[in-house]
Amino acid sequence: MKLSGVKYLANQGVENIWKNKMMAFATFCVLLISLLLVGSAVLFYMNMNSMIMGLGNQNEIAVYMDPSLSQEDVDSFAEKLKTMDNVDSVEYVSKEEAYQRMQSQISEGKAIFDYIDGYDFMPDGFSVTVINNDQIENTTMLINQDPMVRSASSSPQVAEFLRELRKVVTLIASAIIIALAIVSMIMISNTTKASVFARREEIMIMKYVGATNAFIRTPFFVEGMITGFFAGAGAFFITWAVYRAVYRILTEQGMLMRAFGIGSLIPFASLRLYVALAYVIAGALIGALGSVISTRRHLDV
Amino acid sequence: MVELQNVSVTYSSGVDALNNVSLKINDGDFAFVVGSSGAGKSTMIKLLLKEIDATSGVVTVNGYNLNKLKKRKIPEFRRTLGFVFQDFRLIPSMTVYENIAFVLRVIDAPLKYIRKRVPYVISLVGLHAKTNSYPDELSGGEKQRVAIARALVNDPQLIIADEPTGNIDPELSYEIVELLKGINDQGTTILMVTHEHDLVRHFGGRIINITDGEIVFDEIIAGTNDEPLPEEELAQTMAKAEENQPQENESGSAPASPQSTEDALIDEVIASIIAGNDQGGAE
Repeated sequence: MKLSGVKYLANQGVENIWKNKMMAFATFCVLLISLLLVGSAVLFYMNMNSMIMGLGNQNEIAVYMDPSLSQEDVDSFAEKLKTMDNVDSVEYVSKEEAYQRMQSQISEGKAIFDYIDGYDFMPDGFSVTVINNDQIENTTMLINQDPMVRSASSSPQVAEFLRELRKVVTLIASAIIIALAIVSMIMISNTTKASVFARREEIMIMKYVGATNAFIRTPFFVEGMITGFFAGAGAFFITWAVYRAVYRILTEQGMLMRAFGIGSLIPFASLRLYVALAYVIAGALIGALGSVISTRRHLDV
Repeated sequence: MVELQNVSVTYSSGVDALNNVSLKINDGDFAFVVGSSGAGKSTMIKLLLKEIDATSGVVTVNGYNLNKLKKRKIPEFRRTLGFVFQDFRLIPSMTVYENIAFVLRVIDAPLKYIRKRVPYVISLVGLHAKTNSYPDELSGGEKQRVAIARALVNDPQLIIADEPTGNIDPELSYEIVELLKGINDQGTTILMVTHEHDLVRHFGGRIINITDGEIVFDEIIAGTNDEPLPEEELAQTMAKAEENQPQENESGSAPASPQSTEDALIDEVIASIIAGNDQGGAE
């Protein structure tokens, strides 16, 4: 086909949007809603996941050093800890702090502290947070292997619980996303079918005058792609506005944030490009393919 | 050229639509196909358009053996034909110009040629003033003239007109057939399905009568068109347009004139057959 022919077909696609504006608008709305549904579900899942990861970051490894070590040894061990795999942060816990922590953790029989003089008997220690909470047991074990360490302990139950929680959330979110994607595809398919059905006569005439299937489909492809592109762009701006509002409300609620460990809500700025690309590409692709597939049954004339 | 050799069509429902039909329409012929509703006329049209396949027999149109024609070759074959339908089948969202130019777009004709050819065929059917009108703004007769222009624009070897006068005023019917006759005079083969016996009587020519899926009559009869034509200015328009005809449109074929030597007996027979069939109404 000549370049002028391709240009003509592309122009036809653009013109068709205007000529069939009601159907194009219906397709636009359905695509917009579908993209919003699926996109919101994906973003919700990503944030849930991030929050769970955030909760995991609060899980610490408590490291107690051998009391016989000099301060220099303790300091050099701190540097060694920082270079270990999966170690996120290392906080020095002095004897005094350790003593206070111990006091606060014991609820019954606090009278025992009346018989203790000073806190020198307490070992130096570190509070270590990890990057990947799933690996906290391994990291704890590695720290424990060091001869300078008297004991290192973490809460594997917390890690296990968070792992399970993530699995459940992933499973539920995947089911919701798949269900929404299927519902969206059905909605889009029906709308594009209705749009094409309204123009079946036009397609039939094209077939009678000797148009090839590619000639008939190209304007539908262009039309679907443009409609999908704008639906994707629309979905992006709506998501942006809503996400920002929700993010602001949640971050303003300090109490709520702490309760759920929501320090890890993903800021939209870090997602913006991906969300925009995903919406626009998905919209254009679904719009174009939906239109083209819907023409198929009318082409067999 | 159209040739049907022992063609039968049986639908999946078991209905025998055509039964061992043999027919030959030569290049440059003008033939009326008449028959009652359900006689098999539409089936024959569908066969010629390669919309359906023959159950048995051989169908050849414009040199294409339709039995062996591959699906991907159908567009190429259809470009050698022109169609005119009873319900016009114009694309409502396109203007008169666009509806006609569209056919040339399909065959990827150069833009220069389209710009020259389309106004020419529009003037040929006398619709120059309606070039930028949409189908909804046209009368039935005008719509059919656009449909004829569309059928004509890529200079086809054969034009199949399925009840082209079925949806227009009777007085305009003569104008439409006259237009088709004029095109036929340029060498294009015309196959026109109709059930309007007045038209057939008036114009005469080759009459093919299909009844119950069989050709029961295939003769050339004389027409009664010695009275003045209802639209003489049409002929003038065509002549005027002919002067502006671009080189690409010259087909060079000799015009086919219906024979006028048939005896009155055949005329009576065909008239009675058509009149009898017409009781069944339009197909």
